Amino acid sequence: MTKEVRIKDIGKPSKQLIKLRLEDLMKLPPPYDKPGEEPEMTEPKEEWRERYITELDGYIAIDVPFEKPKTKEEEQRLIQRFLEGLKKLLDKENNWTFLQPLLLSLEFCAKCQTCNDACPIYLASGKKEIYRPTYRSEVLRRIWKRYLTPAGKVFGKFVSGDIELNWYTIARLAELAYRCTLCRRCTQVCPIGVDNGLIAHEIRKLFSQEMGVAPKALHELGTVQHLKVGSSTALTPEGFKDIIEFIEDDIKERTGKNIKIPVDEKGADILLIHNAGEYLSWPENPAAFAIIFEEAGISWTLSSELVGYDAVNYGVWYDDVQLARIAMKHVEVARKLDVNRIVVGECGHAHKALCVVADRVLADEYNIPRESCMPVLWDIVRKKKLNLDPEKNNFPVTLHDPCNMVRLMGVVEPQRKILREICPQFREMEPHGVYNYCCGGGSGFAIMTSMNFPEWRNKVATRMKFKQILNAFKDCIDPSIKKYVCAPCSNCKGAIRDMLDHYQATMKCGIYYGGLVELMVNAMVDIEEPFIEMF
Amino acid sequence: MLSPLQISSYLAFAIFVIVVLWKFVKYATMPIHLRWELYPVPHEPEHEHGGSFFEHQNIWQLERKHDKLNELKEMLEEMLFIKRMFQNKRDLWYVSWPFHAGVYLILIWLALLFIRAVLVVAGIQGLVPIADVLIKIAGAIGVIAATLGCLGLLIKRVGNWELREYSAGVEIFNLLFALAVLLTGLFAWIKFDPNFDIAKEYMLSLVTFGSKPMPSLPNPILIHLILLELLFIYIPFTKIAHYVGKYYTFHAVLWEDAINKPGSEVEKKVKRCLQFRTSWSAPHIAGRTWAEEAKNPKLDVIERWKP
Repeated sequence: MTKEVRIKDIGKPSKQLIKLRLEDLMKLPPPYDKPGEEPEMTEPKEEWRERYITELDGYIAIDVPFEKPKTKEEEQRLIQRFLEGLKKLLDKENNWTFLQPLLLSLEFCAKCQTCNDACPIYLASGKKEIYRPTYRSEVLRRIWKRYLTPAGKVFGKFVSGDIELNWYTIARLAELAYRCTLCRRCTQVCPIGVDNGLIAHEIRKLFSQEMGVAPKALHELGTVQHLKVGSSTALTPEGFKDIIEFIEDDIKERTGKNIKIPVDEKGADILLIHNAGEYLSWPENPAAFAIIFEEAGISWTLSSELVGYDAVNYGVWYDDVQLARIAMKHVEVARKLDVNRIVVGECGHAHKALCVVADRVLADEYNIPRESCMPVLWDIVRKKKLNLDPEKNNFPVTLHDPCNMVRLMGVVEPQRKILREICPQFREMEPHGVYNYCCGGGSGFAIMTSMNFPEWRNKVATRMKFKQILNAFKDCIDPSIKKYVCAPCSNCKGAIRDMLDHYQATMKCGIYYGGLVELMVNAMVDIEEPFIEMF
Repeated sequence: MLSPLQISSYLAFAIFVIVVLWKFVKYATMPIHLRWELYPVPHEPEHEHGGSFFEHQNIWQLERKHDKLNELKEMLEEMLFIKRMFQNKRDLWYVSWPFHAGVYLILIWLALLFIRAVLVVAGIQGLVPIADVLIKIAGAIGVIAATLGCLGLLIKRVGNWELREYSAGVEIFNLLFALAVLLTGLFAWIKFDPNFDIAKEYMLSLVTFGSKPMPSLPNPILIHLILLELLFIYIPFTKIAHYVGKYYTFHAVLWEDAINKPGSEVEKKVKRCLQFRTSWSAPHIAGRTWAEEAKNPKLDVIERWKP
């Protein structure tokens, strides 16, 4: 059998390496098993082709204009720059952060392809070759071997395989690094422990740290704006304080409770940091946290200081320098407030970035304990600090496991224990826990909304999650039965929101979504009106 | 007096050991990396559901417990049975596992030959017959399983599009080389040395540094031995030595979850790394140490990438 795309084709001059077609994608369960139930796929606009890289699959993740070389000399300069970046990825001083894992994954892959069927993107695309988890890894591995190892220089393609480094290869590789959500499901099944997700991550770093190229949502409007303005949402400290007032009023209106949300209170036990997207898109989530923490008598505070009110750290997806900068700001804020620990709200990547990955960029006075909100919440439920009536949540509920919080951090059970306590119709998706599938919004995809990228995300990246959700509710798929996908992560919620919208699943299947704390407040006996609105 | 063949045997073994050790040292001396573990981590007490210490509060005060027994179990299942491939790529496992198990048995066979020779030299004759039996079993099963597995791997590698497309020439060559060694070994065993008597004598001559005479070797055995020596020299320079990588991917990356507490060894290593100087060229990086870069961000961006 011959496949349409080979590894060496990455450097082939052509308008577009592959074209996705609806009929090739993974089939969805009812009611989406019939034609016409989901929107058609579109062509990239011609003007985009001039300015951006559409030569991979026609979709654009990197929305920084990427000029094509006009001469051979320009192309050579690009190649040299790329190789310089690759050398730095393999250099102790420039990439101590991931040198060992990267070299292990480059050097020891047995190319057994055991990982392929673990990848939701590869499966959802109908097994398109370029989305195979080993494809981009093998491209980078071949470039490394061919151009930077003595064996490759002497023996050529006998040891490196067939690859040509040109503008097409580099440009397509840049885009291809953003066709993996870094969920690392492939790594879980690898007999050698090779990490294709990490290789995608390192390619992103090469482009960002060496060439300054990354999706605007992650870099210019992400980490850079976060450090300059205070939040990747552009929320300023003043804006944040206004929102807190609004949330207090909203709590009063919806629950009758007079809650003064603690902000900048020194000496509290916990500094709670939310993804600032919550304040703007889902203010009921920080509101629910405030209700729960106040009711449970937790010693806590929020921060209004620059960066301190936004837990996100997009650096974890594409740039180690930016990762370190934001992590430092987070702990600096905590240090000034003299709290005992930082607790991260319902945001998966912020969990992983601050608690796990950035654990090794902090030292001395910057080394402060950082923890998940999940055990705090479970402790509140377990110790019966809230009066909860599960009957108030008597509708079908399933749980989405954010990869960053679960597979990459091991916070698996606390959220489940809560749901088992407060949701009589809780059911698991399959697979779940550490073997879950990504929501499709991972690694920044949820916030990357330029041009046609959302279409790719909705059609391909989130497809497996959508299938899982439909299957979890297959016994009650009728739209008259209101159902709830609990996604305790801002970016996952964003991806699921767009997915439900794209497939019109709320209308067609009665599927709603939200966080975990909203379910907890919804179950509180002394709150009369439903906190969760499904209509 | 040692023969050139004997000297080459010592050399091949020495090169193998030295280069493998060098590889271990290369990875062992790399700087600490950012935490990048992947759950389930088998030494976590809550490994059954993939849980970690992050499922608890006040993690710095927690007394960390490690289920070393479960880690050992997971490690052995992966080493001896290639569990992940068994679960996720059964068709390839049917040939990969016999090959790997066969190679393990051949290594055991070699070790047994060595032990037997030591027993003979030490005059512990009573244990020699037991060694003889074990040598026969390990050698016979090992060479048959490894040869069939290697042949199967080669057929898969060449015949299956997704395996062939991702293989460079050297990866096919590796299998051909191993197969050549195995086939000559199989032939030598069946035709000339069914009880491995020649092998035993040759090993005895090596252990005694030539004071026991080297047996006369028929040409097929000589060819096999030379090929085997070349393979020993070749392996550490290639991906066949992926056992080195496998040790580090699991133990130093996927299962490595040590907390960076103040004053800990981890913190000391991190502080050293934060003094490394960056030379990345992007406009938001200023070529300072990691510590300086982190504390005083430079935030320039490019509007458009130009070659």
